[in-house]
Amino acid sequence: MKKFINRPENLIEEMLAGFVIANANKVRRLETERVLVRKDAPVQGKVGVVTGGGSGHKPAFIGYIGKGLVDAVAVGDIFAAPPVQRAYEAIKASHGGRGVLLCFGNYSGDVMNFGMAQELAQSEGIEVESVIVNDDVASSPRDRMDNRRGVAGEVILWKVAGAMAEEGADLQKMKEVGERAVFNTRSMGVAHTPCILPTSGKPSFEIGPDEMEIGVGHHGEPGIERTKMMSADQVTELLTLKVIEDLPFASGDEVTVLINGLGSTSLLEMYICVRKVAEILSDHNIKIYRTYIGEFFTSLEMGGFSVTLTKMDDELKKYIDAPCDGVHFVQH
Amino acid sequence: MTEVIVLEKVKSALNRVVENLEKNRQYLNDLDSPIGDSDHGESVCNAFHKVKEVVSDSSAQDIGTLLQEIGRSIIFSGGAAMGPLYGTAFMDAGTALAGKKDLSREDLVKMWEAFAKGIQRRGKVELGDKTMYDTIYPSFQVLKQAFEEGKPLKEMLQAAIEAAHQGMESTKDLVSKRGRSSRLGERSRGHIDPGAASSYFIVEAFFGSLMED
Repeated sequence: MKKFINRPENLIEEMLAGFVIANANKVRRLETERVLVRKDAPVQGKVGVVTGGGSGHKPAFIGYIGKGLVDAVAVGDIFAAPPVQRAYEAIKASHGGRGVLLCFGNYSGDVMNFGMAQELAQSEGIEVESVIVNDDVASSPRDRMDNRRGVAGEVILWKVAGAMAEEGADLQKMKEVGERAVFNTRSMGVAHTPCILPTSGKPSFEIGPDEMEIGVGHHGEPGIERTKMMSADQVTELLTLKVIEDLPFASGDEVTVLINGLGSTSLLEMYICVRKVAEILSDHNIKIYRTYIGEFFTSLEMGGFSVTLTKMDDELKKYIDAPCDGVHFVQH
Repeated sequence: MTEVIVLEKVKSALNRVVENLEKNRQYLNDLDSPIGDSDHGESVCNAFHKVKEVVSDSSAQDIGTLLQEIGRSIIFSGGAAMGPLYGTAFMDAGTALAGKKDLSREDLVKMWEAFAKGIQRRGKVELGDKTMYDTIYPSFQVLKQAFEEGKPLKEMLQAAIEAAHQGMESTKDLVSKRGRSSRLGERSRGHIDPGAASSYFIVEAFFGSLMED
C-alpha cells in the first residue's frame, strides 16, 4: 500500500483535525462526538439538514457543510455508517427549532443507525424526517428500487434540501420535494481500478489489468457486469443509455448532468465523457439544464466515474440554481 | 459442571467473544472482500470495542441488566450495520432475562431465542437470506431441542455451536437477500456470508466459554 498516512487507526481523526483547521471559517467540530457542523449551527428558524455515512468519499460528506447545503455531518469510519449516538448528536446540533431533515444513502448500516437516531430525537420532541437516496440503477432492478444504493445523487439532494432550508421551507415540504428530486435522479458508474482500503491495506475488489466493472458501487461493490476495457465513448454510451431508460428520461425533458470522478480518473477523461453524454442526450432530444463535472463523491482513489441525470422541473431548477457556500461546493 | 450459569461466567464469556472477534478480524475482512467491501472484521470489532470496558465497569447485579448494558453500548457506539444488529440482539437477550442472577438451562434457551429474534427484528431477515440469522437461528433451534430432550447444559451448548457452524457453512450456497451483498444476486453464491461467520465466532466463544468448568 502506498499512501501518505500515519497509523491507519488514526487517519480519520487526523483528517478531521486538518479539515477543521483548514476550514475554520465555515465549520466546527462538536466536542462530544465525531460530528462536524456549520460554524453557526444550529441556525435558528430554519430546518436543519443532516447527512453522514462512512468516510473515504471526499469531498462527501463534510465538504458539503455550509450555507445553502448541509448543517451537520455524522462522520463514520472508512466506508462504515456512523453509530446511533453520533447521528443523534448531529440531529440535535442542527435543530434550530423547525425540525431536521436527514438525507443519506440507502445502505443498511446508515438506514438502521440514522433510523434509530431519528426515533431517539423524535422521542425528545424534535421533528425529524428522512429522505433516503437510491439513485444507483445498477444496484437493483427497477421493481426493487427500495434495494438500490445511494451514490452521487446524494449531492443533488443536499443541494435541493439545503437551498430549500435556506429559503425557509418547512420540513414536510422539504421531504416532499427532496423525495421527488431523488426519484428524478438516476446514476450509474464504472471502475477499472479498485481503491486500497487503508485499514486492511487491501484493494476493495480484485480486477484484471484490462478489465472494468460496470455498475460499480461507491465502496467498490461489484456491479452488473465485468467486461474488457472500452473506449470513453463506448463506456459513456453504455452508462448513459442505462440511466436514460431507467426513469425513463424522455424527449423534451430537461436534465441536470453530474459527472462524478470516483477518485483517480482525470478531469481530462471526464470532459471527454461529458461530451459524449451531451451527444447522446441531444439524440434523445433531452435538453441539458446544468452540468456539474468533477469529484463530488469519491471512493478513495478508485479509478472510474459515474453519470447522473436529474429530471428538472421549475421547483427543482430554482433550488439547483440557488447559491451555496459549502466547504468544497460553492455556487454563486 | 453445574447446571446453572452465574453472572461472572457470563462476563468472562463476553470478554471471550471480543477476543475471538479480534482474533478473526482479518479473516472476516477477507471473507467480505468478494461480496462486500472487505471491512466486516473492522465493523464487527468496532461494534464490540467497548464491550470489555462495559463488562469491567458494570455494576449490574443480574445477567439481564448486564446484557442490556452491553446491547446499549453496541447500539449507540457500534456503528456500521453491525452496531444496531448485534446491539439489538444483546439488548433483547437482556430484556428476556430481566432480574436473573443466574441462568438455568431454560433461561439459556430464552436468552438465545430473544437474541435470534432481535437480529430478525432489526434486520428484517428470514432464514435463508444469507445473513447472520442463518447462523443464529439454527443454533437456537438446536439449543431448544437439546433442552427439551433433557440434555445436560454442556451437551446443549456443544450442539448449538455445531449447529451455528453448519448454519454458517450453509450460507455458502445461498444467494444474498439482505445488506450490501444482496445487490450481487447470483454472484453472491459460493461465498460464506461474513455476518454469518462473525455470528459463528460469537457463538463459538460465548457458548464455548460457558461450557468450561
